[in-house]
Amino acid sequence: MTKEGVQGATEEEEQQQAQSKKGLKKQQKEAEKAAKKAEKQAKLAAEQQSTEEDDFAKDRYGVAAMVQSQQKLDRALVRVQDLTPEKADQLIWLRARVHTSRAKGKQCFLVLRQQQFNVQALVAVGDRASKQMVKFAANITKESIVDVEAMVRKVEQKIESCSQQDVELHIERIFVISQSEARLPLQLEDAVRPDGEGEEEGRATVNQDTKLDNRVIDLRTTTSQAIFRLQSGVCQLFRDTLTNKGFVEIQTPKIISAASEGGANVFTVSYFKTSAYLAQSPQLYKQMCICADFDKVFCVGPVFRAEDSNTHRHLTEFVGLDIEMAFNYHYHEVIDSITDTMVQIFKGLRDNFQTEIQTVNKQFPSEPFKFLEPTLRLEYTEALAMLHEAGVEMGDEDDLSTPNEKLLGRLVKEKYDTDFYVLDKYPLAVRPFYTMPDPNNPKYSNSYDMFMRGEEILSGAQRVHDAQLLTERAIHHQIDLEKIKAYIDSFRYGAPPHGGGGIGLERVCMLYLGLHNVRQTSMFPRDPKRLTP
Amino acid sequence: MALRELSSLEKFLGLKKPNKYSTQGDKKVPVLQSNNGPALVGLVTIACHLVKEAKRPELLGDSAESRAVVQQWLEHRVTKLDGCTKEDVKTVLKDFNLYLQDKVYLAGNQFTLADIFMYYGIHSLIVELAIQEKEQYMNVTRWFDHIQHYPGIRHHLPPVAVLRNRIYTGRHH
Repeated sequence: MTKEGVQGATEEEEQQQAQSKKGLKKQQKEAEKAAKKAEKQAKLAAEQQSTEEDDFAKDRYGVAAMVQSQQKLDRALVRVQDLTPEKADQLIWLRARVHTSRAKGKQCFLVLRQQQFNVQALVAVGDRASKQMVKFAANITKESIVDVEAMVRKVEQKIESCSQQDVELHIERIFVISQSEARLPLQLEDAVRPDGEGEEEGRATVNQDTKLDNRVIDLRTTTSQAIFRLQSGVCQLFRDTLTNKGFVEIQTPKIISAASEGGANVFTVSYFKTSAYLAQSPQLYKQMCICADFDKVFCVGPVFRAEDSNTHRHLTEFVGLDIEMAFNYHYHEVIDSITDTMVQIFKGLRDNFQTEIQTVNKQFPSEPFKFLEPTLRLEYTEALAMLHEAGVEMGDEDDLSTPNEKLLGRLVKEKYDTDFYVLDKYPLAVRPFYTMPDPNNPKYSNSYDMFMRGEEILSGAQRVHDAQLLTERAIHHQIDLEKIKAYIDSFRYGAPPHGGGGIGLERVCMLYLGLHNVRQTSMFPRDPKRLTP
Repeated sequence: MALRELSSLEKFLGLKKPNKYSTQGDKKVPVLQSNNGPALVGLVTIACHLVKEAKRPELLGDSAESRAVVQQWLEHRVTKLDGCTKEDVKTVLKDFNLYLQDKVYLAGNQFTLADIFMYYGIHSLIVELAIQEKEQYMNVTRWFDHIQHYPGIRHHLPPVAVLRNRIYTGRHH
């Protein structure tokens, strides 16, 4: 062998030796890994065996089969709100959502929630529950729906964080009826956290857009539940009060042939071979019902306004509560009827929905809503005087701008201590063409607006019920008579003097509760930027 | 502006003969030519002279301390207040509000020339304030309303409406 060859051989040898050293090390490592793995598997298997062996509570928990109406169980489920000390020491079943679950050693604390009510529940290792059952309970994902059999127990110290403060549940059986995915798009605790608290303590709050995008989850929060129950109450009180006054509920068409309030803010829909519009208000049809001798009517239905306003109080679709009635001699009969209806609604909310109001106030604090009986009615000229006194410059026939409306609201609140009032006798120039002019002063009209917390909620008036005068007013406002021919014609065959007004359900709820954005009181709000969910 | 103030001051002091003023420089500093002696230059100088002429020395303060305070505020008026920028307005009003917390007039319990000229100087700022801001600077508003109603002061300036009661009480809107 040559020197090179020898060197080459030794190098090879070295390489081989090195390789084998490396190889050895590698082999060693792999062996260790394999050993560890085997150990782990053995341990797991042993554990599993032991768990299966020791789990005496196997039948008392688990994920239930999907409810496909397999059987009719004669089992009464108790409501969380009925869990009071009266039920102490009773064994009951209930179905609720898992709001939170927290394991602590041999115990697992759960908070079970049903709409606005929640109760603390406990699974503890003992003769009813095994270790595996406690572990299972701790791992149930938030928002899952569970069926629980539990003993109701009185507690010594009030549980401040729950709505049911005097009792807790000791769980004997727990089954998951509908499991929730682990990752929620928003956390319910964050969604009900007041903004101030969020900033102070550095905790998360959820911004409005996220809430609206995931409305199904957001609507589960105690605040949302309270808001929409109250809204349902407003509708109910509106209907009941008016029905008791002898009003008839009517339904008006929403697909119409001509824009009722003006051409600018109307949605167009394709209607077979032509186009039609979505109604901006039931105005025309309410009045036609009066001419058709229904005397006093109201309707609850959607209103569509294609207004490209992105403000805290505008929606493109909202629920209108509209009133129209024939009167005997003076349109104040109409105002009195409307204000009395509003006062009945406020009283009904105050007396029957305190729980809901308090729940909303927890997240959105506000002053309670104040009103006077009889309702305060100011004339436009008086309002102008109040504004002048406060340093605001305004002409006699000017309309009130939003800031001036708000300022006026504060001045009225300070002077009369009311959040609700009527402003009567608006200048004729700023009202629609069908408004009846004032008989004594042509600059003014028999029209009125109503305000809650300084924001307008109703615009109304005595309507022109004479075809001749109506035509004159339309011409004065430069409206195409052809487009409103059917409307004018309805007054040609005897029409009683009448008037009315309409309110927005969402706005009334928002202002009653002292909230700041109408989207909070609209379940699935529609605005220029939002079409879903 | 300064000339109108001086003429209003003359009326308040009851001086029979109105003086003729001229101005100098781009800042239009008022000048009063006098028959015996050098011309008086400057708003504060002329104002103090007029007060002495009208034999109302109490308007300059009746103790050494109050005299010093009056001069200080007159100084403040022409140096800090006149020509203060939009950003400074908040600070100016905030400090003024704090100062007036425990005083009826600028010099304590006595009405002086300092009140007159601070009123003239601050009027244009107060006129622009919204009701909510006026309530925020409650002491300034209180002092301002008091001075503008003082007999004989408010000649050339329009009155500013001040409400009797607070209308922004709650935590909202």
